[in-house]
Amino acid sequence: MKKIITGILSLGLLLNLTGCSSSSKTATNAPKELVVVDWGGNYTDVSKKSRYEPFEKKYNVTIKIVSPTDYGKFKAMEQSGNIEWDVVNVDADFAIRGAKENLFEKLDYNIIKTDGVDKKFISDYGIGSETFAVAISYNTKTFNASNHPKTWSDVWDTKKFPGARSFQKYAEGTLEAALLADGVAPDKLFPLDVDRAFASLDKIKPSVKSWWTAGAQAPQLLATGEVSTAAAWSGRVLAAKKQGSPENVEYNQALIYADSWVIPKGAPNKDLAMKFINYCTTAQTQAEFSKLVDYAPTNSKALPLLSEEIKTRLGQSTNSAKQIVADIQWWADNFNSVDARFQKWLLK
Amino acid sequence: MLRENSKVDNGVHNKHVPFFIRLKKIVDPKWIMILLPLAFILITTFIPMINLFKLSVVDENGFTLKYLTQVFTQQIYLQVIFLTLKIAFLVTLSCLVLAYPVSYFIVKLKSPKLKKVILQLIMIPFWISLLVRTFSWIVVLQDQGVINSMLKYMGIIDKPAPLLFNTAGVLIGMTHVLLPYMILNVYSTMEGIDRNLVQVAQVMGAKPTRAFWEIFFPLSIPGILSGSMLVFILALGYFITPSLLGGAHDMTISMLIQNNISNTLNWSLASALSLILFLITLVLLGGLLFLMRNHPALKED
Repeated sequence: MKKIITGILSLGLLLNLTGCSSSSKTATNAPKELVVVDWGGNYTDVSKKSRYEPFEKKYNVTIKIVSPTDYGKFKAMEQSGNIEWDVVNVDADFAIRGAKENLFEKLDYNIIKTDGVDKKFISDYGIGSETFAVAISYNTKTFNASNHPKTWSDVWDTKKFPGARSFQKYAEGTLEAALLADGVAPDKLFPLDVDRAFASLDKIKPSVKSWWTAGAQAPQLLATGEVSTAAAWSGRVLAAKKQGSPENVEYNQALIYADSWVIPKGAPNKDLAMKFINYCTTAQTQAEFSKLVDYAPTNSKALPLLSEEIKTRLGQSTNSAKQIVADIQWWADNFNSVDARFQKWLLK
Repeated sequence: MLRENSKVDNGVHNKHVPFFIRLKKIVDPKWIMILLPLAFILITTFIPMINLFKLSVVDENGFTLKYLTQVFTQQIYLQVIFLTLKIAFLVTLSCLVLAYPVSYFIVKLKSPKLKKVILQLIMIPFWISLLVRTFSWIVVLQDQGVINSMLKYMGIIDKPAPLLFNTAGVLIGMTHVLLPYMILNVYSTMEGIDRNLVQVAQVMGAKPTRAFWEIFFPLSIPGILSGSMLVFILALGYFITPSLLGGAHDMTISMLIQNNISNTLNWSLASALSLILFLITLVLLGGLLFLMRNHPALKED
């Protein structure tokens, strides 16, 4: 018996070795490899179908996916000078913050065509890949389609809409919600009145049962009724709804943020990375991406390519409720000081 | 050197031993067995650590005490360090309270097979990912969770007990993760205790409880100490469990360090925080060893 097992094992090892040699042989003739870093999970799955695989075919290259995006690792890589990544998907505010730390290559807008992309999503070092919403989300057993919190003021009104709340454990998104709840007009939201925002947060703090840090937390809390209302990433809540969880999203006053593509300084395949970003910015690619997932395009020319049903799902149809695009530049300038104050406030 | 001297004392004529044989003695293979792992630990632990701690006093503008002062002058950092120590201490205590009887029970078992089975059962939590275990705790501890519905069904409580998103949740989750470390430490020490001593005490007229407290328990203290130290140090570094099961107040220093490493990219502050955490840990453990230095169970025979 032992001999058989050893036999099988050594055979396996041999096969492995031959496998190695043949794959390394093909690697030398193989098309170029582009290393793309994204957020992992469902995001990687849909990106593969709508962005990576079509790009691989068109340019005869292979894409190696690394996930999730990690800013600490990004900085460490830049400091060590051993750059392994070519393109990275980051939060839009990091595309500006990281530029101050000298982490990125300047994007070449001769290669990357920006027509159709809102200027808010374009900077020297990054361009918006898709948008996502921090939206009012609610448990449909506690509330229904007609009677649920429709504004951030409603979320703050625990008498009218009882139940525990959950917010993201980050200042970004939470401060905006607090100001809107306090009656600040959406078009006057930025620059944020930080003092007023914290005063408003003081009022809701006793009702906040959980400050979530992972995207999967809010949908779970809503599904079990642990909280009745949450500020959550719309895509995550709608994905849970699709699987039968009793929860839904209210797009009114949803806060819109973007993810951005950046190229690490000294990336080995910089030119190909520019082409990749251009490919992902086209209306066609963005439309394909949004068909598969609840993230909206940054390129407005992608919208006509989508069905009315999908636009409603993304909160992008003409009769969709009013949403508010966050001022990324403000966040990039104030992130560190506001974040420190937010951590202190949590402990208070 | 000591070995050589003792040889001389023993009357061995060292002078006439050829040099290469003496050299061979010094480079005894058993030293190589220690040196390699030692070099590995020194290189992989201390060099990165020194590089990291260097960041706390050096930034792009050269030497600075800005970050260390920041930690000591802004209340939040000391407050969080205190919270971290408190959580680690409570977790160690609850691990010890749970682990001691279990280890005692296993040592007392007569069947070696059963012993093995129970030890295997204790190891099972090691096989499951930390994240999965932590999320499972949310399902168990939440208001509509298993524990609360059971208690409600039995009529013990009318309102769900708050077990989640507070310190209780953090303690339950972390104790679950760290308990095996404590059990294995305490158990291995207990297994080495000569049980004849307890019997002798009883033969001499001590009641079983007295024999336990005066003979068995003091002999098990080294296991308690090593287990507690291990659990305490591991607990100091936790951030996933407290961030998922804790409330806004259950902030640990690792959460702040992580936030500064990968979110605000303020590595110097992160480094200052880790340096202070490291020093506090050293002082606490050093103090503990100093207090226990005269304990007979810790002395070599």
